[in-house]
Amino acid sequence: MLMQSGADAALTPSDAVTPKTFWLPQGASTIAPESDWIFNYINYINYFFFFLVIGIMLYFVVKYRQKGREVYARGPAHNTVLELTWTIIPTIIVVVIFFMGFKGFVSMKTVPQNAYQIDVTASQWAWSFKYPNGATSDDLYVPAGKPVKLVMRSQDVLHSLFIPDFRVKQDVVPGRYTTLWFQADAPNADGDFHMLFCTEFCGKDHSRMNRHVYVLNDMDFDAWVVEQGRWLDAIPEEELYSKAGPKLFGRCASCHTLDGKPSTGPSWGNYDGSGDIWARTSSPDSTHKVDGKSISELIGQGKEFETPEGYLRQSILIPGKHLVDGFGNAMPTFQGQLSDKAIDALIGMMKHLDEFDAKGKWIGKPEGK
Amino acid sequence: MTTLDARPDAIPAEAPDNYLTFRRGVLSWIFTLDHKRIGVMYLFAVLASFFVGGVMALLVRTKLLFPGEVEWMTAEQYNKAFTLHGAIMVFLVIIPSIPAALGNFILPVMLGAKDVAFPRLNLFSFYLWLLGAACAVWSLLAGGFDTGWTFYTPYSSQFGAGGTIPVLIGVFILGFSSIFTGINFVVTIHKLRPPGMTWFRMPLFLWALYATALIQVLATPVLGITLALLVVERLFNIGIFNPSMGGDPVLFQHFFWFYSHPAVYIMILPGMGIISEIIAVHSHRHIFGQKFIAFSSIAIAIFSFLVWGHHMFTSGQSPLMNVLFSAITFSVAIPSAVKVFNWLATLYKGSISLNTAMWYGLAFIFLFTIGGLTGIPLAVLSTDIHLHDTYFVVAHFHYVMMGSALIAMIGGLHHWWPKMFGVMFNETWGKIGCALVFVGFNLTFFTQFMLGSQGMPRRYYSYDQIEGMAEAFKMYHHISTGGSYIMALGFVITGIYLIHSLVAGRKAPANPWGGASLEWQCSSPPPHDNFSTTPAVGDCYDFSAVRWDESKQGYVVDTEAHIAASGKGH
Repeated sequence: MLMQSGADAALTPSDAVTPKTFWLPQGASTIAPESDWIFNYINYINYFFFFLVIGIMLYFVVKYRQKGREVYARGPAHNTVLELTWTIIPTIIVVVIFFMGFKGFVSMKTVPQNAYQIDVTASQWAWSFKYPNGATSDDLYVPAGKPVKLVMRSQDVLHSLFIPDFRVKQDVVPGRYTTLWFQADAPNADGDFHMLFCTEFCGKDHSRMNRHVYVLNDMDFDAWVVEQGRWLDAIPEEELYSKAGPKLFGRCASCHTLDGKPSTGPSWGNYDGSGDIWARTSSPDSTHKVDGKSISELIGQGKEFETPEGYLRQSILIPGKHLVDGFGNAMPTFQGQLSDKAIDALIGMMKHLDEFDAKGKWIGKPEGK
Repeated sequence: MTTLDARPDAIPAEAPDNYLTFRRGVLSWIFTLDHKRIGVMYLFAVLASFFVGGVMALLVRTKLLFPGEVEWMTAEQYNKAFTLHGAIMVFLVIIPSIPAALGNFILPVMLGAKDVAFPRLNLFSFYLWLLGAACAVWSLLAGGFDTGWTFYTPYSSQFGAGGTIPVLIGVFILGFSSIFTGINFVVTIHKLRPPGMTWFRMPLFLWALYATALIQVLATPVLGITLALLVVERLFNIGIFNPSMGGDPVLFQHFFWFYSHPAVYIMILPGMGIISEIIAVHSHRHIFGQKFIAFSSIAIAIFSFLVWGHHMFTSGQSPLMNVLFSAITFSVAIPSAVKVFNWLATLYKGSISLNTAMWYGLAFIFLFTIGGLTGIPLAVLSTDIHLHDTYFVVAHFHYVMMGSALIAMIGGLHHWWPKMFGVMFNETWGKIGCALVFVGFNLTFFTQFMLGSQGMPRRYYSYDQIEGMAEAFKMYHHISTGGSYIMALGFVITGIYLIHSLVAGRKAPANPWGGASLEWQCSSPPPHDNFSTTPAVGDCYDFSAVRWDESKQGYVVDTEAHIAASGKGH
């Protein structure tokens, strides 16, 4: 869907990516050529029959239009041979078309043995891609020239993963694993990508579950996935909240704002007069209400949580346990997706909310602090 | 049953008395058992719903002029608007439009009967329709609903806006309205055909209504039960479809489409019936291949129950099921193609009068051909994977549901308008309206084929989240929205001249187009009892005894010659 820049065109084998046409976007997976061939073949059959039907219709309408008010039409009322002919010929055509589509479908559904597996978790309204080494990402990165298998699950409602350039689509169903495979042979040029959409209606921000797919050559991909696996480790402890926080907050931002504006979940900013998320959680005389009670009944010596950090940590990992007043049980669990260090980074960000702008960008310590 | 005894003192067909003036006052309408009055009430109720659904469509299209967020419509409001558009158009407009509005009026008259078999049930089903529509209003007051007209679980059972349960109850009630109409029509066609009207002398519109009624009776209960289960899950947390309570969301899709695929044929079959009437009458020649058309209606009705899984190729159902459903789906293509070829052959050596109704008939053939052919890449497994849940599907079903079913309904409305209200509308304005609707429709929906095959998913509020997306799709959205405004203008013009004709239209003759079926033999509008005596039945597609009568400004059928000519064949 995006253009290739001239300089990098030489790097990509020209037969690996088919260009965008009037009907179809560029084809960038190994199944695209076959799928497109069938689509175009059906299209030509359709053009033929469309122009045949409309041509005959217009010809008859002009030729046999009524003269005056006369009713003297004596056309034949039936013709068995003709009627059988136009029943049987379309039957043969559609049988052929069915088998072509069937054949293409079988190759779409037959996952190669050596496929590289990426686990996909869909939730309202985000994608999370998890690689074999434990690295995770919001955009999908895949190695070029290798079959890739996506094993997908949903945390809440139906979603559907669709990559138009690859001609693949599969619903993501809660309570089941669904799979999808593709192979993209041409690495993306720098800054280029393929689009990934959610195509099963999943609520308010259904149209904001769009992500990038980056096809990297083998070496780049290996380096990326290793780097991605330990990006958090490479960040020094004191910069954790300012560097890792905003990156991790990207997942939270679909439901939580930073400036008190209403959204699906409670804002991290001050929205109910009890201060921002750290202030309202840590202050002993907070007016913030959880489960209909004051939050201070939950936190403190001998209570359910010794520290505010403990409460916040559980709110991320088991969000349905306690619900902030005015909000339903809508947050997916992040158990197994966020390491302790990642949670530290997020809680660190909550503690220093005044150092971030409304979009989650770190703007440094305020003056005089 | 109403009294069917012929009155010895029956007034001749040309008598001034008609069903509109037979009794007067609001109460005479509210408690009427006359199928014609019930049909007229349905008609206006359906057209009012069409107006509301159309406004929703225009809101959705207008939003999509802008790739990003707009201040005047949030994502939630957008989701509610397209859901409301879909639910209104499917459940309140297209499903009842032809059977309940036009069918109610025309079916008994075409049969030469005085009413449907169960007039009280008929009135009851109209009030159920009103109750269902009232539930939709209740839903809006309770916060609206945003599940899409398909109510997919677990979104609908666990999330979804506050008006979800009211609308589910509404659709449940509408289902019974549809079932009762279906039962009524099946019994009426079986029991009240006049002597001489064998099954193959029955007009094709009645064949189509009969096939439709069978589907209504057999499929609609499944929808009712499914929605009831959904309400139970939502209200009492009994896990049926929600996996977090042990249910299965794909099961819902099976149940839903087991009704909703046949429902597609509830919508299109009566339209095909109307087109068979329009093409034959306005070509003034015998319909070609009457038996093939009749049997193809029944074939479509039967096959329609076996193909629901083709809505679910990407749902996670087993690949084997996908293959079977894809194969069976093609069986529906054949009878549909047969009908188109038969209509074309009916034009051959006809005497074609290009009235507004015929314009709609020809528009139908054009649009249905596109709608049908674009169904092929959706039925083929490997291409459907790419096209499923994109605008390609949206375009396809609008070509079939709106471009075909609704255009047929409007065509039928023009065809029978003189009969229903006893007035002629302005033909020139009729053709202008038809042309605007036709051009606007193609601009709106043909662009959506490209939009979808290029990858634009359906039900998207915005299309600007990642770079290149807005550029890729914006042009198509702009053309599509522009087309929808042209179409809206066409419908407004149509509404104006039709209403104008009620007030100032020329008085209609009994037979303005030269039809030979029974409804053209009673006066326009028909008397309360339709026919004073049971009329003689000939071949309703034999036009050899039809002549233009200058003094009546209409056609007349020489009944004796007609009966004599019938059965001789050509």
